[in-house]
Amino acid sequence: MDRQPVNASYHGSMRSRDSSSTGSDAREKIKDCFRKFVAFMFTQVGVGALVVCYAILGAASFMHIEKDNPDEQLQHVRKWRQSCAEELWNITVANNIFNETSWVLKVDKVLKVFQNNITAAVHTGYNGRSPEDIWSFPAALMYSLSVFTMIGYGNIIPKTIWGKIVTIAYACFGIPIYILYFCNMGKVLAQTFKWLYITAHECSRRDDAVFEEGEIIPVKRKITVPSTACLWVISFYILTGTIMFGAWEKWNYLDSTYFCVISLCKIGFGDFVPGANISDSAGGSHLKLVINFIYVLLGMGLVAMCYNLMCEDVRVKVRELKEDLKNCLDDITLKITVCMNDTKHFHQKQSRHVK
Amino acid sequence: MPRRKRRLASRIRAYIRGLLSFLFSNVGVIVLVVAYTIAGAFMFQAIEGESEMERMTHMALERNNTAENLWQNVTLALNLFNETAMKERITIELIHYQKKIVFAVRHGWDGGRSSRQWSFSSAFLYSLTVITTIGYGHLSPRTNWGKVVTILYTLLGMPLFLLYLTNLGELLARWFKCIYALVCHCRGCPGFTKRRAARFRQQLDISDAESIERPPHWRSGYLDSDCTPEYRIPPNARDFQRRPDYFRSASMPQPWERREVLPAQPRGWSEPLAFRTDSEGTSEFSYVTFDAQTITVPISVCVCIMVGYIIFGSMLFGMWENWDQLDGAYFCFISLSSIGFGDFVPGERVYTPRIETSFIACSMYLMLGMALVAMCFNLMQEQVIHYFAGLKRVLKRVSRCKR
Repeated sequence: MDRQPVNASYHGSMRSRDSSSTGSDAREKIKDCFRKFVAFMFTQVGVGALVVCYAILGAASFMHIEKDNPDEQLQHVRKWRQSCAEELWNITVANNIFNETSWVLKVDKVLKVFQNNITAAVHTGYNGRSPEDIWSFPAALMYSLSVFTMIGYGNIIPKTIWGKIVTIAYACFGIPIYILYFCNMGKVLAQTFKWLYITAHECSRRDDAVFEEGEIIPVKRKITVPSTACLWVISFYILTGTIMFGAWEKWNYLDSTYFCVISLCKIGFGDFVPGANISDSAGGSHLKLVINFIYVLLGMGLVAMCYNLMCEDVRVKVRELKEDLKNCLDDITLKITVCMNDTKHFHQKQSRHVK
Repeated sequence: MPRRKRRLASRIRAYIRGLLSFLFSNVGVIVLVVAYTIAGAFMFQAIEGESEMERMTHMALERNNTAENLWQNVTLALNLFNETAMKERITIELIHYQKKIVFAVRHGWDGGRSSRQWSFSSAFLYSLTVITTIGYGHLSPRTNWGKVVTILYTLLGMPLFLLYLTNLGELLARWFKCIYALVCHCRGCPGFTKRRAARFRQQLDISDAESIERPPHWRSGYLDSDCTPEYRIPPNARDFQRRPDYFRSASMPQPWERREVLPAQPRGWSEPLAFRTDSEGTSEFSYVTFDAQTITVPISVCVCIMVGYIIFGSMLFGMWENWDQLDGAYFCFISLSSIGFGDFVPGERVYTPRIETSFIACSMYLMLGMALVAMCFNLMQEQVIHYFAGLKRVLKRVSRCKR
């Protein structure tokens, strides 16, 4: 190692540059690799981690805000029930003769009033459970996810004023993060899928090419992934979800498919939400909710990938369609002008003939 | 003479082509979206309306059953008139009944309101929430056919609505840029344009005009005979130094590079310069076109538009539905961001005879609102890209410093 500088000084800058370059070449490579890795982490994995952290943060804050909220509706419902029972008792007491039909009629009216009250309460969000039951951590996690992915199930909703304000702020910041995640995941998955598709395509073509006679000129065509391949991937993913949720939540297969499609399309009605009956099984449902969370996130990534891949396909086709339409319109206008010219010439000839 | 006639005919043809393409692309898409929603409304009304009647009769039956149970198990069974024991039994029955009501309402029963749940306007709102992916959920399909049709309706409707958003967003962004330029830079004032034209005329004569740095492809010169020759106003022109924000936005490289020269597309105003230099003896007119599309609208304006629309919606729906201001704003924000929880839906809580118009008003508000959001995104894109490019440059410089 001591001889190297001596050599360098003897043989001039060339040799020294070589020796130093081999020494620092490896260092440069490592640095470059490290930089690329950091860049990758910051873009792809980093964004995914950011999304997950943001969801966890949101879950914690919503849980804190909404859990201790004394729910007035429960007290209202209890009061209504008590008053209904009072009235029923009064009816029973007032009727000295136990006349069934009149008693039943009166009871029916009272029950109807009770029913209307309960219905109104359910419309404003009552669902028979206290806030401590509803806002467990996994449920709050699903809530945060449904806010920033814009799915918006609505089976759990904020009832306090602070809850609503924090939801709005959370959405304002969360939606751009989610869109960033969406675009990034879409790009990465689209590149991976394209590479897989092209290698599969080349492999199959190479098998065919072996059996051909004559010269084989490898034609490097630009291969676009057809939209059908994307649709197959999404269908397979929905099928997986169907089987999974059908087994866990005891939904029938149509309901599971319906849930998967409605969630992946970001509609999110909220009539079917996995893990909604959290109070039934506390232990296994945490794992279930986490798996639901991952399913929805990954599903969104796949949708982004399909969107990415189909964009080019659709754009080319739309451009062709527009060109065809324009040519068609041009032809029609040309034909009309030619027709008008012909008739004009014909009339001119006629007038000249008359003269 | 025939040459002028030919030019007129070709201009008319270009104008008609422009109008037809405008109709087909923009108005056509709007009509298509509305027609698709109406078709969906009819479909869902037919599919789901019948099962709704079943559910109503089912609940009436439940009520009768509860009354019967009360009679049988409570009043008849208890020989003693023991108030507390009887009340306890009654309470147990009522809790059962209450659970049944809650279950039924959450699974689509309406509580016996006299208006049908799947009326045309509510089905219209439902179809709209499906294709805009808002998905309130206050109304959702309960029958199997309803679910299958919803899935298919989504798969077709979502791309259609995305097309509507992109088209309308671009169109509104273009119009807004013209209006913004008109309002904020006073380009449309008649006296001002004449003075500007005169100043520009002077600038063309000075030799300094050639030394002004411009992108090489920028001076397009004369295009087809159809099109008006466009002279873009140079960024370093003297009369623009008084307007720093236009200067700043004009110095951004992106709008110039991205802008292709599209023939015969009216994008700004054209002012005929009624002079001709002595060297050319032709009777052509040249136009100074101010290209409003090169202006970037600042992000604050877009944010103001969105906030204003949300406040407008909150006032409107707050008035109609007796929501307070926060609830109204919360509803508007949640709907326009397509989250759509469904806890607040116009016409859901308070039953008024105006319920049908509430649904239709909500639908129109949503369609217009989403188009405005698309427009704001379109307008904000350039600024955001610019900021991110700047951020990237700073980060690169910082990371290079680390070496």
